[in-house]
Amino acid sequence: MATRARVVRMEPPATTGGNALLILVGLGVAFLLITALLGAAKTGGPLFNESNLLYVALIFYAGAGALYMGFGVTGVAKYVKFASVATALGLTANTLAVAHRWYLAGRPPFASIYEMLLSFVWTVAALTLVTEKKFGVKIIGSITMPLAVVCVILMQLLPSGVRPLVPALQSTWLHVHVTLAMLSYAACAVSFALAMMFLIKDRFPTETFLALTSALVSAIYVAIIATRFEKWGGLSVTAWDAKEKSDVFLGRGVRLFVTVPDLGWLFVMAGVAAMVPLVFYFLARVQKNDSYYGIANKAVFIGILLQVIVLAAFVLRVRDASYASPYQEGLYPTALAASPFILGGLVTGVFASLLYLMLLWRRTDLEALLPSADTLDRVTYKTICVAFPLLTGMIAAGAYWANRTWGSYWSWDPKETWAAITWLVYAGYLHMRITRGWRGRRAAYFAILGFGVVIFTFLGVTYLLPGLHAYA
Amino acid sequence: MVVDILSIPKRFFRTLSNLRTGIVLLLLVVIAAAMGTFILQRPATDSQKLQSAYSPQTLQWLDRLSLTDVFHAWWFLTLLGLLSLSIVLVSIDRFPNAWRFYARPYRKTDSHFRSALPTKVELPIRNASDGINAAERALKKLRWPVERIADGNQNSLYSERHRFSVMAVYVIHASLLLIFAGGIIDGLFGYSGYLMLQRGQTANVIELRTGAKKVLPFSIKCYEAGQENYADGSPKKWWSKLAVVQDGKEVKTKEIVVNDPLVHRGLRFYQASYGPTGNVEGVKVIATPKGGTPREITLQMNKPVELDKNTTVTLAEFIPDFFIRDNQVFKRSDDVVNPAFRLQIKQAGIDHAATQWIFPAYNPVSQGQDAGYQFEFRDMQMGYFTGLEVSHEPGQWLVWAGCILMGVGLFVAFYMVHMRLWIVAVPNTKGKLVLWIGGQANKNKDRFEQKFGEVVNSIREELDRASNIPRSARKEEAELTLVAVK
Repeated sequence: MATRARVVRMEPPATTGGNALLILVGLGVAFLLITALLGAAKTGGPLFNESNLLYVALIFYAGAGALYMGFGVTGVAKYVKFASVATALGLTANTLAVAHRWYLAGRPPFASIYEMLLSFVWTVAALTLVTEKKFGVKIIGSITMPLAVVCVILMQLLPSGVRPLVPALQSTWLHVHVTLAMLSYAACAVSFALAMMFLIKDRFPTETFLALTSALVSAIYVAIIATRFEKWGGLSVTAWDAKEKSDVFLGRGVRLFVTVPDLGWLFVMAGVAAMVPLVFYFLARVQKNDSYYGIANKAVFIGILLQVIVLAAFVLRVRDASYASPYQEGLYPTALAASPFILGGLVTGVFASLLYLMLLWRRTDLEALLPSADTLDRVTYKTICVAFPLLTGMIAAGAYWANRTWGSYWSWDPKETWAAITWLVYAGYLHMRITRGWRGRRAAYFAILGFGVVIFTFLGVTYLLPGLHAYA
Repeated sequence: MVVDILSIPKRFFRTLSNLRTGIVLLLLVVIAAAMGTFILQRPATDSQKLQSAYSPQTLQWLDRLSLTDVFHAWWFLTLLGLLSLSIVLVSIDRFPNAWRFYARPYRKTDSHFRSALPTKVELPIRNASDGINAAERALKKLRWPVERIADGNQNSLYSERHRFSVMAVYVIHASLLLIFAGGIIDGLFGYSGYLMLQRGQTANVIELRTGAKKVLPFSIKCYEAGQENYADGSPKKWWSKLAVVQDGKEVKTKEIVVNDPLVHRGLRFYQASYGPTGNVEGVKVIATPKGGTPREITLQMNKPVELDKNTTVTLAEFIPDFFIRDNQVFKRSDDVVNPAFRLQIKQAGIDHAATQWIFPAYNPVSQGQDAGYQFEFRDMQMGYFTGLEVSHEPGQWLVWAGCILMGVGLFVAFYMVHMRLWIVAVPNTKGKLVLWIGGQANKNKDRFEQKFGEVVNSIREELDRASNIPRSARKEEAELTLVAVK
């Protein structure tokens, strides 16, 4: 009650503007749903199939994300309520999508990275609602919903055909192992969001958030440029075989790259712009001059603008085009589906920057809506107490299954090793907390680090480190 | 400075039994393991690939630091050993305190203790023994075990639940050691290798991961092996019908598939792969003697087949993809696209065997030296092998036991709350006789407060029932309780 009174007092015009955004998001959702419906009606395909349902879920998750962010910008508490309704609707559509795929395949959807993401998004959305209702952390969705949107966009691009299970995957242990993995990873995601909320509530300096956001976005661009920048400013992307719906392979595991001319320079520009706030942050720290922060914040705007331009340029130039390859003669078609991780990185960068803006503008209102720092700290710990036994069970089930399939319960495969590393990081967190009494910030840093390792184990290992665990 | 030699083990012990050392070791293990995933590892990647990935100097250094085989390097194993030692020592260091707490719980309710406890409630009573009795009945109804503590002439109640949960952390660490022990046993006494069998073949020698050979105490025979495909051509199932042969007798048979191995005397045989051997298993030809009647025979590699009393034919060579130069037959590739067969026909009394070739892609009929017979190609069957992964892991049962124990330990440690209650009848600060109820939990304060409220309500009801106080007279009490609840 006190919260609302305060918000209204501080932002008198925002209440009317608030309805405008609600109407806008509502109309947007309705418009997208109707176009999708018309599209489905035109092609005459079945209305309630998995991809349509997933699209509906995406629209609702994006609507929820927009409302959470809208709350951030305007500070109208009412948005949060509608956002949580949108999350619930998205979750319903997501559930139906999972159910439909399960029904079609005749087995739970756990066999490829696409299906795992489907289950992951579902669990994240469900846990978001639980945390919101049970622990009163109302705006946790402003972090988890963008995560869900990035995952669903990634999924739209990944090969989604229902593939039959290869011999090694035909085991009950697959279901045990993957269910535990998804539950624990989603719990880790929620603990990460809670740790972020804790830092906000705990008066963690906004400037440090600025530096971290800038560092994250810079890291994404540096990673893309370092691996994909070609001579004379091109950007290399994987060639796409539309008929086979897969990347073009030159040999076993060797993909054919084509070069999109000039796109590389654009990435370099956006990358440099992303680093500028970080530079000004350090200048401000070193020279003890706070006016540099203002410049850094302005640089964030320019950064976002450039990032959006890069995203648009990437989408326009890579979707349905053909380019030459430096490795083989001829023109090869490209598609967004062939570069899911570049796209995912770009979208993550934009979301991270937008979240920072939300924090910059509406910090007081955000803090007013959050439960006490102590509660957040405790709930973070509780989520990790849920995640850790699940993680343990996941590793044990995986080991048992590996023993039945590969003849050895532990073979130091990269995925196994990284799962063990994740486990050790969280074990470290628990020890520090229980025996050394680490509370508050240090514990929150640890929880954030833990989720970073989880993301690397889940997605990074699959695409960067080769190994036995080739399915996902 | 004099260094006391005797103090070195003590210092070593003290350093290792420090939790901070344990955490540093944990970090080192994490870093080493991460390096092992980023640097290509030796047995898994072949040396050719390693040589193309790193420059010779880099590779030399990586090898020298055993960074190309991190997980089997002595320093990594030492790290793991130190970490387990640290777990043991930290546990030993902390155990006495925990055990004291576990074995001799604090049951008394002196005034210092009462004022220090944060969660407490006071309920007004008229008579000390009635109050205690009512509380005891209420606790029993809620299935709390109750102990009566007599301290001088004062009676108090003590009750607790899930005391064992304070020891769960030792169970978890012990389970980790069990898993390590299993791993060490397998590292020392276990082995794993590969066995390739063709249909009908029997073998007892496996090739170990290191490249060495090992003779098993029994043989494995493969009766049949095969592959089933999905409609799109991707493999659905690989299977092999195997038999264990010991001293010439068949002891056990089993059809194995990918997730279901054959186990015999601690050795497990897994279906690992299936594929063509590149060799021909059988060739059907029609043999026609000069002026005689044709007959269909099946030829196998290097196995003579009798055509008549004086003549035998042998399939001496198979070339999957041939070409001819200078009147000689050469192999072009391993793909079975353009096969050639060399037959040798031996006649009694003639030293020199006659050679004939069949090139089915050009002419099904054999050509070459005359030997009284002509052969016409009909059909051929390629040989397939089944690849079996063999492993002997005597320590695995320790690992599974450790996993189960850890699951139980984690469940108890995270979800079972050690809750304690103390109840005593004492005069409060205003001098009124009250039933003082205090409680404490080692974790999950929310859940404990809920349980505590449940207990307090139940005792209140029991007190009401005992003294038959009408509801209207309870106003004063309610106010009192409100003041007391924190």
